[in-house]
Amino acid sequence: MRAIRAIAVNTFREAIRDRILYLFIGFAIVMVISTKLFGMLTVGDEAKIVKDIGLAAMQFFSMLIAVMMSMLLISREVDNRTVFNILAKPVRRWQFVLGKYLGLVAIVAANLLLITLVLVVMVLIYTGQFDPMLVFAAAMTMLEMSVLAAFATLFAVLTRPILGSLMTLAMFVVGHMSADLWMLTRQLPGTFTRAVIATVYYLVPNLERFNFRTEVVHDLPIPPAAVGWAVVYASACVGVLLFLAALRFQTKDLK
Amino acid sequence: MRARTLVSLVVVGALLAVAVAAEVELGKIPREDPLGRELLYLPSPEMLKIMSLGNPGLAADILYLWSIQYYSGFKPDERFLYLETIYNLITDLDPLYFDVYRIGALIMGIQTGGDQAQLKKSVRRLFDKGLENLPESWQLAEAAAWDLFMRFQDQEAALHYAEIAAARPDASGRIKRMVGVWRDKGRVWTIDDSIEYWKRAADDAEDEYDRTMCASHLYDALVARDRNTLEAVLATYSERHGSCAESWGELIEAGLIREVPLDLVGKPYGIESSDCTIVAFKKIRDL
Amino acid sequence: MADIQLSVEDLRKTFHPGLFESPIEVLKGLSFDVRRAEIFGFLGPNGAGKTTTIKAITELIYPDSGSISVCGLPHTSLEAKRKIGFMTESPYVYSHLTGREFLRFCAELLGVVRSQQEDRISRVLDDVGMAASGDRKMGAYSKGMLQRVAFGQALLGDPELLILDEPMSGLDPIGRRDVRDMILRQAAAGVTVFFSSHIIPDVEALCDRVAIVVDGRVRAVGTVRDLVSREADRYEVTFAGVSPEELSTRLLAHHVGSGEAWVRVSSEDRDALIRELADRGARLVSMNPMRATLEDLLMTHSEGVDR
Repeated sequence: MRAIRAIAVNTFREAIRDRILYLFIGFAIVMVISTKLFGMLTVGDEAKIVKDIGLAAMQFFSMLIAVMMSMLLISREVDNRTVFNILAKPVRRWQFVLGKYLGLVAIVAANLLLITLVLVVMVLIYTGQFDPMLVFAAAMTMLEMSVLAAFATLFAVLTRPILGSLMTLAMFVVGHMSADLWMLTRQLPGTFTRAVIATVYYLVPNLERFNFRTEVVHDLPIPPAAVGWAVVYASACVGVLLFLAALRFQTKDLK
Repeated sequence: MRARTLVSLVVVGALLAVAVAAEVELGKIPREDPLGRELLYLPSPEMLKIMSLGNPGLAADILYLWSIQYYSGFKPDERFLYLETIYNLITDLDPLYFDVYRIGALIMGIQTGGDQAQLKKSVRRLFDKGLENLPESWQLAEAAAWDLFMRFQDQEAALHYAEIAAARPDASGRIKRMVGVWRDKGRVWTIDDSIEYWKRAADDAEDEYDRTMCASHLYDALVARDRNTLEAVLATYSERHGSCAESWGELIEAGLIREVPLDLVGKPYGIESSDCTIVAFKKIRDL
Repeated sequence: MADIQLSVEDLRKTFHPGLFESPIEVLKGLSFDVRRAEIFGFLGPNGAGKTTTIKAITELIYPDSGSISVCGLPHTSLEAKRKIGFMTESPYVYSHLTGREFLRFCAELLGVVRSQQEDRISRVLDDVGMAASGDRKMGAYSKGMLQRVAFGQALLGDPELLILDEPMSGLDPIGRRDVRDMILRQAAAGVTVFFSSHIIPDVEALCDRVAIVVDGRVRAVGTVRDLVSREADRYEVTFAGVSPEELSTRLLAHHVGSGEAWVRVSSEDRDALIRELADRGARLVSMNPMRATLEDLLMTHSEGVDR
């Protein structure tokens, strides 16, 4: 346990001291603040646009950070020799994988926290009210990102840094598209296409399950079962991905 | 070293100037921009939803903002032909987007050319869709009633929507009163009635949004009233002097009015001398 | 019977680089033992399999067959890893950490008790001469400083066995001397030191025993003295009055200078040469025994190998 914690803390610290992170956070904050501009263009409810843009930025920049940071924090270490130092010590390979993952998740969470803070303040300025549902949306985004981070960890162990990042990005896109594509193609006559899309749908985590943005923006009720099962779903996905990553890493020759 | 810096600056400056000049020249070249072609490349709502990667509400916002900007500029009337398609797309992406139903219908209603009967049908379809997706919204039903009454002079349609509004939860008292007014087919509704009605509604409004909408209607009613008087004055001036007045000063000099006429928020009206009409500079923000 | 701190037996490893490339057999049945408290050198040319062997010992790669035991334990056990202090070939850079933070991280991984960590870290920094620079970011360290901190993290767990992969590579003479001194200090304290190198003078100077590794196998093992004296000595003889080409004795090398000639002969042929020179009336100027160096030994073993 100490080894996992030490690796996670070291990973987190490396990210904090890396200047690229500040670039992303800066962009995210500028994005959220510039919603003022869009608010001015609309006729009607400005707060809706602020929330829509803010929540999208929250998701997009968290995804970007998960993808880029995984390249810096995990792929790079596995690719370089710094991992030798760790694994020659009394540390199991799965402990390394888990520690790296937790460090990555921590940095994504820290970033998400900052963006959420900015968004909550922006909405407070527009509506005069604190909207707790924004925090809920952030929590759900965090669930989504923890699944994405698990993908990033798996790909970091499987392949080269840049390729791994691209594949994680692809998982993000497919994860959001697969459900709709599957719905659309269920009516199609071609069985092969349907089979392919159905396979993709079941194999790739459906990231839309963590998407409650419409409910948050329009103040709709959210069934607790949907949230509960989303948590279970995320945990299961993360478990599978990390297990596969540890399995692969266990047998890998570190040349 | 300084010579080299100078030369570098000159080279960069020259290249930039060429780029800017090229951009300006390109901007002057008229390009065909048939509305059909633009809309041809708008994907179906399902596709847009997929492309938005979990943010259909944002996609709706972007399209809505675009539609406002695009239709605010002065362009030939054909652009309104496809309005219904666009607003259908936006409301498919975000069915709960109140503003789009409200403002979309308003923008559609602005068109003065073309087949007015068809236009009214389009407006009603948009309102009906909104009323189905927003079953709690009496405000949308009220907006529908007034749009059809004022813009299309259709009292029967207005009554239909007023009754829907009155039946919805928490409906304001004022729309319930209008049910009575519009049921009474003998009753003629004047502009002064509108002014009276909206003044009261604005005072009774429960939130800022509602108050602003009521003030907007009040503004429109006042403009309608002032328009009648002021355009009559302008006509008199034209008869006497052979051409339209260019400014209010001329009318004051001619003794036709005492002071510059102001709108609800205290801004002077303008004169459109080409067709001798009144222009009102309405801004929601000032209300 | 001396304690065996590291035992490697019949180690084999073939790498499979890819679909279209042929497999590379790096270790072809490599065996050796390292005894307690000795400094053991692993000498061989580049590509001999030294680093692969060390990675197999530290479980960074998995050998195809063979057995490895560390301090009497299977090398895969955590207990065995706790007894090892390992240093890789080139220093890795955690440029965002200070030397002290890095050692703290390593101490956590080693499971060093928290209350003892700071003392131990300070002691190690002192030992490796980095006490003054411990709080600077490692990104600013010179190569020599990185090497010293790397050595330090190997000492952090009070290891019984130090495994060092090319510890002197890329260092200037002062750096190399520092590392040499550190190794000697550890050995004096009873720590077993196993290091690989292709720099012969370092190995000759430091090691109690040496294994010569060429092409994935151990070709010779023993003390430097044993290894070298096992091979034939040679003699270099300088004389005048006769040309080397006229001599019938087998010569390993010859050279004609102004007035004098120089030849090299094996020790077996030495007496025959002296007799021949006397017969021919040549004047003997000097005769020097040449001990074979490790370099020669290495060359000999390498010659048989197709590289």
